[in-house]
Amino acid sequence: MRSDGRLDTGIALVCVVLALLALVMPRITRDNLASALRTTVLSPIVTLEARTTAMRAAIDSRNNVLQLRGRAATQALGVSAVADENATLRQLLGLASRLEQEFIPAEVLPARGFADDFTLALSVGSNAGVEQFLPVVTADGLVGMVRSVDPATSYAISWAHPDFRVSAMSVDGQAFGIVQPHLGSGVERWLLEMRGVRFRAKLDTGTLIVSSGLGATYPRGIAIGVVVGELATPEKWARTYLIMPAVLPSAMSPLLILRRGVQTRDLNGVWTSITAADSGARAVAAAGDSIARIAAMAEVAARRAALDSLIADSLASDSTALRRLPPADSARRADSVRRVTGPPPSGDRP
Amino acid sequence: MTPVPSAGPSGAWSAARAWLGFALLVTAHFGIRPLITGRVTVDFLLIAVLFAAVRMRPGLAALVGFLAGIAVDALAPASFGAFALALSVVAFGASWVKAVFFADHVALTGLFVFAAKWLFDITHTFIQGRSSGAGLLVELLLWSPLSAALTAMVALVLVTAFRPLYRPQTL
Repeated sequence: MRSDGRLDTGIALVCVVLALLALVMPRITRDNLASALRTTVLSPIVTLEARTTAMRAAIDSRNNVLQLRGRAATQALGVSAVADENATLRQLLGLASRLEQEFIPAEVLPARGFADDFTLALSVGSNAGVEQFLPVVTADGLVGMVRSVDPATSYAISWAHPDFRVSAMSVDGQAFGIVQPHLGSGVERWLLEMRGVRFRAKLDTGTLIVSSGLGATYPRGIAIGVVVGELATPEKWARTYLIMPAVLPSAMSPLLILRRGVQTRDLNGVWTSITAADSGARAVAAAGDSIARIAAMAEVAARRAALDSLIADSLASDSTALRRLPPADSARRADSVRRVTGPPPSGDRP
Repeated sequence: MTPVPSAGPSGAWSAARAWLGFALLVTAHFGIRPLITGRVTVDFLLIAVLFAAVRMRPGLAALVGFLAGIAVDALAPASFGAFALALSVVAFGASWVKAVFFADHVALTGLFVFAAKWLFDITHTFIQGRSSGAGLLVELLLWSPLSAALTAMVALVLVTAFRPLYRPQTL
């Protein structure tokens, strides 16, 4: 009986030691081991969980789908015209074309544990074309990067992950730096910081920060966040700025994984940037000005035409009246003629 | 969950039912749990490990907890090993105290699952060591007890409604 107790304790200790080893093993080994388990014995579980997550997403979006279906039916007729008009307007306003079929849509699988906030389990894997190091975005901006890929699932780190880094620049291209998580405490843990900005590049609060395209992972022009303020650091030759992320933790689903081809493309303008919005506003204002100018000119022309016709009419009526006057007064103006001759005869214009 | 001493037909049938119950709970953990949104969730895997642990020796219970934990860890590689460690400890402890708490009494079973789930959450949170301050307190004193209560309620329903599968009987 005592030997059984020792055996139980021994087995339990082995389990604890193995678990501790798993906790402290290098990340590469850990990822490889986890990936091997997921693709072999846990493959049915991964598939089941991905399907359940897709089912939940379908349930969540059911009402929206019904509403959208009705709206789409009513709007279908005008779609092609609107698309043409939209393309024309985007071209006029200097915005780039939107992303089309160059992304992979993904859902975030439910988190496990309390503090697993920095890694996202995605519902698509290599079967859908996901590859390692592909950027993950939402409509608001950058979320993170795919770190490991299985056939049916993949894992991405978000911008809050301690390993996250992205080469960034201000949207006007004046300041460059590296954006990384702000490892503060409390709420500040959910902010970013842009380090290594050259000292002369002063950024105002609210400046949009986008990816610079340097490096092999993130294409240029993905919105990262806006400047909240400057951080005081011991570095006197460079500035560090606190950045409010463009994608908040609560808005990290659904996601888009950018395909490899997009990474080499400049994505400036795909995310509505301050510059684009500003240039757009200027273009709209300029267009409005030109339209107003044309309208004003048209109005002036119309008034001039009306005045000319009025003058012509009055001249015509005056000449009619003048024809009734003696020839000696024909050189006088019509008004003086009227004043001299009294009220016009009935049937004549005043 | 080794089919143990009574190796006769009834013992084998009991072991098969226990395996079936375990498999159903594991399936529910990955097939039903994602449908439940919110901070308070049911931990079907912990129920499965606990129901298995009370039927077997502490060493085997720890092994089952370790394997179940490694499975979950493989799906969340950021904290690889944390679930395995927490579930090993909880399963080992559950198997030790089964004689005291896991009698054939509904209220005690609920209390047992509640305590085990809360202990599991505390252990797992501290192993991961990422939460701190007020967030940690809210997690451990609000959300974790609520999840434990919900898990205990589900465990009671399972024990009551599916008694042949989840009857606390040593194999």
